[in-house]
Amino acid sequence: MTLPLRLLYVAVLQVILTSFITYFLITDEYRELSEKNVIILENFLIEQKKQALKNYTSIALTSVNQAYDSPEKNSNQTAQEVVADTFTGLVYNGDDGYFFIYDELGNNIVHPKEPYRVGKNWWQLEDSNGEKIIQLLIKNAKNGGDFYRYNWLKPSEGKKVQKISYSIYMDKWDWMLGTGVYLDDVYQQLNNLQAQMDTHINYTKHIILIVAMSSIFFIFLFGIMVNLSHKKKAEAKISELSQRVIDVQEEESRHISRELHDGITQILISIKYSLEATGLYLTKNQQEKPVTLQSAQENLAVAIQEVRRISHHMHPQILDELGLSEAIESIASDFSKRTKVPVQVNKPALRKLLPDFINTTLFRIVQEALTNIQKHAKAKSVLISLSVESDWLTLIIQDDGVGFDIDMTQSKGIGLRNLAERVEHHRGKFTIKSSKMGTIITVKIPTASFVNHFNESTLHSDINEKK
Amino acid sequence: MDNNNLDNQETQISVLLVDDHPMVQGGLTACLAFYDDIKIVGTCNDGAEVLSTAKALKPDVILMDVSMPNMNGIDATEIITEQCPDVHILIFSMHDSQEFVSSAIQAGASGYVLKDTSSEEVYYAIKAIAKGNTHFSSSIAKMLIENPIKPESEKLTTREQVILSYVARGLSSKEVARTLNISFRTVDAHRRNIKAKLKIESLAEMVRYAVNHGLIEE
Repeated sequence: MTLPLRLLYVAVLQVILTSFITYFLITDEYRELSEKNVIILENFLIEQKKQALKNYTSIALTSVNQAYDSPEKNSNQTAQEVVADTFTGLVYNGDDGYFFIYDELGNNIVHPKEPYRVGKNWWQLEDSNGEKIIQLLIKNAKNGGDFYRYNWLKPSEGKKVQKISYSIYMDKWDWMLGTGVYLDDVYQQLNNLQAQMDTHINYTKHIILIVAMSSIFFIFLFGIMVNLSHKKKAEAKISELSQRVIDVQEEESRHISRELHDGITQILISIKYSLEATGLYLTKNQQEKPVTLQSAQENLAVAIQEVRRISHHMHPQILDELGLSEAIESIASDFSKRTKVPVQVNKPALRKLLPDFINTTLFRIVQEALTNIQKHAKAKSVLISLSVESDWLTLIIQDDGVGFDIDMTQSKGIGLRNLAERVEHHRGKFTIKSSKMGTIITVKIPTASFVNHFNESTLHSDINEKK
Repeated sequence: MDNNNLDNQETQISVLLVDDHPMVQGGLTACLAFYDDIKIVGTCNDGAEVLSTAKALKPDVILMDVSMPNMNGIDATEIITEQCPDVHILIFSMHDSQEFVSSAIQAGASGYVLKDTSSEEVYYAIKAIAKGNTHFSSSIAKMLIENPIKPESEKLTTREQVILSYVARGLSSKEVARTLNISFRTVDAHRRNIKAKLKIESLAEMVRYAVNHGLIEE
């Protein structure tokens, strides 16, 4: 894995982790906060209700003060009736706010919304949790007044909901006076709030998710782009490098070939003439040439041929001295001699138009093509055509053989694949068409790649000429 | 060798030795020293240098190597035969392929011997071409018989190509003659040859041809 790719994964992991932590932290915090808020609000609302209940009760008591406080003992019965009537008529908050009165034994005295309860004993009345409602209300009242929560029928809704009631004790008559509010609207309000907060949390969650996903997406996009450009660069580098390797190889072969031809061979030839001079000297003095001298001369001739062969194999000097078309002519006739397959060479009237690197590339292509033809094509004739026309130098190598698979012909040489790449490197085009009818290799090099080369190389000799 | 009497002193053949390798020059000089009827009048080791030396010494025969710095022996041969038609040039090279031989002949060389032939043969070759004959090493001669040189009428020589390039770049025959230090007539002769070889008629066509082939810039 490349370094940028690794960085990419680290970045993505970071984003995922951060989003996860933010996601859970924020939702958790939010939830906790909202729950606290709800509880505070609930307490506040209920406190408000309690205060209201106390107020209602004290206002209600004031309204019956006169009858309740009247001193005549015998008119107790009448006073109680007056008070009961008053409380029956006291209704607030629409249908749901009313007062109820029980005596200390649990007998109902006032209940405006459920009149069937009046005059009956409800001491044992229980709610669904088994709590004795009336007993607890009376107990709260006797203790000086307090609140009690239970479920009771809500008149406006016709069903049981939670209710909170305040009860006080009217000592003089041993009555318990109570009134209550239903809490369903409080809970409705709280639920609404909770729902709102949940919506908000969900919204935040979505935003975090979207941000995280888009971050990951962009990181990946960026990564892919970086990766692609890296890959492209790497490929270009590899191609560049392989071209460099071939350049160096060619340069090296040319250099060694020259060294062999211009150095060693010339030394060997000078030795050859020295030996000959020795022979001539001996002959002049009427002395017989020793056999060893004779064999030295013969061996030397072999050595010269051998060095020449190696030098020629590494880099044909003809390419440098006479140019590409003569070099092609030369290997073509060698090929014909070797294989008995005639080769026709068409060449332009001009020579030495090409710089060394194009010369060498095209020469190697012809060499490689001829090697392939000899090995695989079973051709009867070969045509090599070199021409310069309308901005392109075109080299065509055509045979009438059986064709070959380009990828199967991995020869010892540079290889057609590499040579094709090399042609493209010189801004040229390389095409190869192989079928059972034969193979055509076409190479095109734009004249722009070598324009003026001949002048640049001969101008040099013109200057020397004028010296 | 048995003709080495005094009469031959006057008819000694003057030879200019052109080879970029002093050891080869030394070896060959040592061998040729045994033949009294030839005389080494000078040596050269650079293809460009030989042009002025040949003009100055006017030798009968130049023994010319092919691979040399600055200018190869074949291009030098063409220029020398153009400027000093009396000088006979014998190519003396390691290269034995037909293309070298035919290029040398086209450039005006009278003979071609390989460097691995004996000094005796070199001597006979010098004698032959000094008389105006031709001489080829036996292997070269065999090659020429088996594959006769195709008349290279359509192919320009290096010199012709240089002149085409100058003319196409707008130089007049006079200017070309001055630049190359040759006569106006020679340039004109070259121009006729070029037109004939390329099968074209006008100056405009020469320019177009040179541009199309990447010889000069547009």
